[in-house]
Amino acid sequence: MIASVCHLLQLQPGSAGAIQGIEGMDPVLRRRLADLGVSEGCTVCLKGKGPFMGPVMLECNGQLLAIRRKEASKIVVNVS
Amino acid sequence: MSSIALLGNPNTGKTSLFNTLTSSYEYVGNWAGVTVEKKVGDLKNGAGTLIDLPGIYSLHPLSRDEGVATQYLLEESPEALVNIVDASQLERNLLLTVQLLEYGRPTVIGLNMIDVANARGIKVHPDVLQSKLGVNVLPLVARTGKGSAQVLSMLENSADIPAVNFKLDYGLIVEQAISSIERELSQEIGLPNHRWVALQLLEKNPVILEFLKGRADTDKLLAIRQNCQNELQNSKLAHTLPQWIRSIRTDYIRSLCLDALDTSGLKPHNLTERLDSILTNRYLGLPIFLAFMYVLFKTTFEWVGAPLSDLLDGLISGPISSGAASFLDTAGASDFVHALIIDGIIGGVGGVLVFVPQIFILFLIISFVEDSGYMARVSLVVDSIMERMGLNGKAFIPFIIGFGCNVPAVMAARSIEQPKERMLTTLLLPLMSCSARLPVYLLFAAVFFPENQAAVIMTMYALGVVFALLLCKLFSKYLFKNESSVFVIELPPYRMPQLKSLSRSTWEKGKGFLRKAGTIILAGSAIIWIMSYTGPAGLNVDMDSSFLAKFGGLVAPLLQPLGFGFWQAGSTLVPGFLAKEVVVSTMNIIYHAPEAAGLEAQISQAFTPLSSVSFMVFILLYTPCLATVGVIKKETASWKWTFFSIAYAVVLAYLVSLVIYQGGRLLGWA
Repeated sequence: MIASVCHLLQLQPGSAGAIQGIEGMDPVLRRRLADLGVSEGCTVCLKGKGPFMGPVMLECNGQLLAIRRKEASKIVVNVS
Repeated sequence: MSSIALLGNPNTGKTSLFNTLTSSYEYVGNWAGVTVEKKVGDLKNGAGTLIDLPGIYSLHPLSRDEGVATQYLLEESPEALVNIVDASQLERNLLLTVQLLEYGRPTVIGLNMIDVANARGIKVHPDVLQSKLGVNVLPLVARTGKGSAQVLSMLENSADIPAVNFKLDYGLIVEQAISSIERELSQEIGLPNHRWVALQLLEKNPVILEFLKGRADTDKLLAIRQNCQNELQNSKLAHTLPQWIRSIRTDYIRSLCLDALDTSGLKPHNLTERLDSILTNRYLGLPIFLAFMYVLFKTTFEWVGAPLSDLLDGLISGPISSGAASFLDTAGASDFVHALIIDGIIGGVGGVLVFVPQIFILFLIISFVEDSGYMARVSLVVDSIMERMGLNGKAFIPFIIGFGCNVPAVMAARSIEQPKERMLTTLLLPLMSCSARLPVYLLFAAVFFPENQAAVIMTMYALGVVFALLLCKLFSKYLFKNESSVFVIELPPYRMPQLKSLSRSTWEKGKGFLRKAGTIILAGSAIIWIMSYTGPAGLNVDMDSSFLAKFGGLVAPLLQPLGFGFWQAGSTLVPGFLAKEVVVSTMNIIYHAPEAAGLEAQISQAFTPLSSVSFMVFILLYTPCLATVGVIKKETASWKWTFFSIAYAVVLAYLVSLVIYQGGRLLGWA
């Protein structure tokens, strides 16, 4: 299968991709994500989308976390 | 006596371990497992004290809460560290471990949640970790206490814990910068491990920089840092220095985990995922949360709370009161002492104590939500609403804790990363109906709305939340400059809370109320009673010509437009500022009613249904209690904001009560 690049929000719920880059994100949020182990190279899975355009739920290294949609759209992932 | 610091990531079971290792325990404010301030306990074997520091992901703080840990490591020098790591999240947890090992103090690693890890198919080899890191690694299940005896015996003699000799190679460029910083710092005394300080400085840790100001030539240190970063950039190694340091550590941790960790059998979070697909569902999430809140209120106030309260009321106004009366008669007490004890103290304090069951049930449910992992989901579910109001979903957790008591809630606001959101949450928290306001609602709802008690009470709670959200929008628009709102929250897997920890945390939260009943409410009741017993004419005067009536009469005209312009209502408001529990005990004394039924009859005479609503709303909104004002001052470090939080509340209370009463009259509801 050919690898394709898209941002996290475009993933189908339940599918995963490897983080290629994170661009234009608030530095505080970016640091916190790095603390939680979400950084370039690791695999994230989009678990689900919250109510009323609310946050999306992600899984990374067995860790569940939630961030807002507009922030999720700044994470570029590589789906293979 | 030695002091030992306990550190680790949030939600790793630090507090459980702290509880099993120490005998005394001080509750400071905890939500979703996050300790808000450092707690100190005595080790069970008497070997010293254990300091429980807030859960952190790294030593570089993002929220105020997290700064406490770094500050502690800088300013105090603990004999040893206990680093608790979550075996099921080893890779992430080791990031902090590396920073702690660089601190260079004797360290013990508690490898917690091995049961969780095993259940998920993750195998961790403590012996490999131990030999690679060069420190003792003890497997633990802190929730059940398994393995904590070994930790305790290891701490018995902290001098015997081997010193840590851990050093990562950060590459030529950074190592040179570290050496030059170490040279700069060599004259400084009272600093912890210089290499650690240097590394934290290179990582741009603001706490370290603040600490070094005035002690060392920070300009020079920052110049070294800047040079180092430039060199790294020129050699195309990394974008920034912190990123480079982090990547070295991450690489090290990955290689370590390859040896120490076997994740080949990793299973997904089946139960958690299934629950989440319902509880955080895009359509069902919010209705489920609201239904949950409704059940919470129903259970607390009607199903379980009310029968227990009635039972207690019967006990206090019956056997206890008459027992005390006959004892006083036999002892030959004077009329004054007799009246003081029966009407003042038993009437006042007893009138508040009957609400203890409701308060404890409320705390029990809040503890259950915290421990089960649902609390974090609540903030996810409400985030999009909160964002529209200028806050983020995380602020909702302090709001819910505020239903118990505003004081720990204000402290829980510390874990919000953005200063603006933290300030807004702190200012608006007093609008959450704390357990002290509950007795007022319970009393009035029982008198005027006996059919719909839970609904009326829930409306009062909801009203507080609605005003908090509306004011939030207003304040964030006009009082604060635009600062982006960020939201990121860790979602722990769901788990069934353990009865032992549940009962402990319920007790820890609720005992504050009992303590207040024994101090402020007791003293307040005695003072109020004396003011009602004495007047310009002397002792044992008619209540209407007492000092209390005179005093309440001063406030009464102001309250006339709100529907409760009589001295009895007026004189409850000022003691109510000290502690809102005193409102009901004051009423007990004024209406001279030792048991609930008598008070209810009196109140149904003095108030109308409309004015009772107006009064309840006023009690809900007007000024936070003195203890809350105290923490607001401490947390905001500003008198201006503290006064603001009092002033807006009084104005809001007056306006809303006015609109309710006058509006209601126009509609003919009087």
